[in-house]
Amino acid sequence: MIFNEIYSMLAYYLPPKANLIASALATFVLILIVLIATPIILGWVDRKFSARIQSRYGPIYVGKFGLLQNFADVIKLMGKNFVTNQYVDRFSYNLIPILSSALSFLLIALLPFGAPSLTFISLPYNLLFIYILLAFSPLLIIIASWGENNKFAVLGGFRSAAQITTYELALIVTFISIGIVNGSYDIINVIASQSLIWNIIYLPLTAVVFFIGSIAVIERAPFDLPESSQELQAGWRIEYSGLKYGLFMIGDYVKLLAVSILFVSLFLGGWSGAFLPGIIWFWIKTVVALMFLMSLRWSLGRPRIDQLLSIGWKWLLPLSVINLIIVEVMMLI
Amino acid sequence: MEGRGIELNIGPVHPATHGVLKLVADIEGDTVKNAKVEIGFLHRGKEKIAELRYFNSYFPIVDKLDYVGALNWEILWASTVEKAMNLEINDRVKYIRAVMAEIQRIMSHLVYIGSFGQDLGNLTFFIWALRERELLMDIVEEISGGRLAPMYNRVGGVFYDFTDGIADKINTALSKIEEKVKKEYRAMTYENSLFIMRSKGIGIMGQKVIKENGVTGPNMRASGIKRDLRKDEPYLVYDKVDFEIITENDSDVYARFMVRVREILESIKIIRQLLKDMPKGDAKISAPWIMKVPAGYTLVRHEMSKGEGAMFLVTDGGLKPYRLKIRSPSFYSLQALPLVLEGCKVADAFVITASMDPVMGEVDR
Repeated sequence: MIFNEIYSMLAYYLPPKANLIASALATFVLILIVLIATPIILGWVDRKFSARIQSRYGPIYVGKFGLLQNFADVIKLMGKNFVTNQYVDRFSYNLIPILSSALSFLLIALLPFGAPSLTFISLPYNLLFIYILLAFSPLLIIIASWGENNKFAVLGGFRSAAQITTYELALIVTFISIGIVNGSYDIINVIASQSLIWNIIYLPLTAVVFFIGSIAVIERAPFDLPESSQELQAGWRIEYSGLKYGLFMIGDYVKLLAVSILFVSLFLGGWSGAFLPGIIWFWIKTVVALMFLMSLRWSLGRPRIDQLLSIGWKWLLPLSVINLIIVEVMMLI
Repeated sequence: MEGRGIELNIGPVHPATHGVLKLVADIEGDTVKNAKVEIGFLHRGKEKIAELRYFNSYFPIVDKLDYVGALNWEILWASTVEKAMNLEINDRVKYIRAVMAEIQRIMSHLVYIGSFGQDLGNLTFFIWALRERELLMDIVEEISGGRLAPMYNRVGGVFYDFTDGIADKINTALSKIEEKVKKEYRAMTYENSLFIMRSKGIGIMGQKVIKENGVTGPNMRASGIKRDLRKDEPYLVYDKVDFEIITENDSDVYARFMVRVREILESIKIIRQLLKDMPKGDAKISAPWIMKVPAGYTLVRHEMSKGEGAMFLVTDGGLKPYRLKIRSPSFYSLQALPLVLEGCKVADAFVITASMDPVMGEVDR
């Protein structure tokens, strides 16, 4: 844990009580930096990358290579008025953006950042806890869409519930397979047991299922049906504006990073690799996974909701179950 | 389950309705029970305006009828007045007009393809299509000085002759577009399994619907009806070029898309032939700016990028038209839209609407 690291570093200089407060503060500041900087920088990468795919320049004016563009955008979002429809249910309307982004932040706080000690929260069963966090989001979306009192929002909310419920089932099966193969639900242990052979070799089908399922669960394009801007005009986010909308956006990017870190940790061996230090390997893999996720968004159209569900039920779930059975049999032998 | 369902107002300001089209759809679950099309948000009384203007001063208004296919309408208006005046135009002007009409057709189809891709949730494709359109936009700009509304034609000819070396530029642009359509567009759309999954088998518009509603153009040819005014009633110089009428038989959204893609390639073929055969000489204008047109009734039909456009002009021998009636193909496509939308999924409704290629400027007039 990062807190422990800071505590032991400062232990030489400070008395225990002061050290406790100081390292807690330091961790808090670090969390803030990570949580604020990641989505903003990721947003820049996404914009620049998509621009190159689409033969555009992307942001170029604010800062070198437009690096500061997203900071400017966040400041602009903060300065905006909150436009609230008079028919919305105030309580759920205001609560959901905070809850939803808090969930995404919690998700990333549970993940390691390239070394066993670089986590903000360490739990013995953090894989299961991550699953719970992912499983929680359709509930929030339904509450939000119902609270907004808008037809487009309700349609988006129902789509979202159907989609996430479908793909979560596939995801939990992949988590179970990983738990069986590596004998642990702790991400650190999962990575440690992959030091020789990566999980993707044992579980190729599961890796594919996890990849597709995780895109669907975080509602990233091409599976962004609940907020498809062309059909539902942003779906369940239709009534949100200003910083409340910004919180959703930030939550999206954090989830994107979380999913790529998760994919690298679970299937690509985390920080295991030759020659280079582990943390560099970890980030190389994460960036590759991230770029792949982003390029999917900019190169594929989105399927229809019934097609998406039938992919989930007819292909992904059976595939992951088959892989689970294969793994079980292999373990018995 | 018996439910009350939702009445959903889609548009007039909606990212997927191509302008100010409004759909009122009764939705049950995820199925459109029935849909109503509401038009008129862009009504500017263009037919009435014609009665207030000299014949040549009407071109700027004609440009805004179909704002992605302006040159086609310009040529139609010019041809109508010329026919009413019994005016014979220069051979070179005919070639120039045909080239411009085909360039405009490619541009219009590219916009269609792009916005169709966007409605499927693929923004990249929209920008790619506009990137290719830009090549032709630059050429139109160089020839006429305008881009979206070029105001290039006038009664009796065109404002400017082709600039030097424009033929080479057009050919380079065309080969670039041809390559993109054949390679990049194929990978992105018509051989992409996700695209096929979304577009095949939905929005089927049978021949009966087409004949009852007067749907024409690519929408009609996608249902296997072989009819193209360029071939059936050749105007300008279309009888001198060799091209095929593109038809598809599936009459679904995918077929409508494919007709456009193949028509782009066919138009490229036409332009190449026209540029090769183009006669020398200058494009002289054979009519004054303000003139009287003899009294009578004139009907001219042309093949627009969206179907058959027609203008029925009544003149009373004065300086201005007595009455003008415009037949815009998009209007008739929209008539058929509610019938096609019946029973489709909500997500498909947008794709089907996009596949009809409505341009509200010419629907509302």
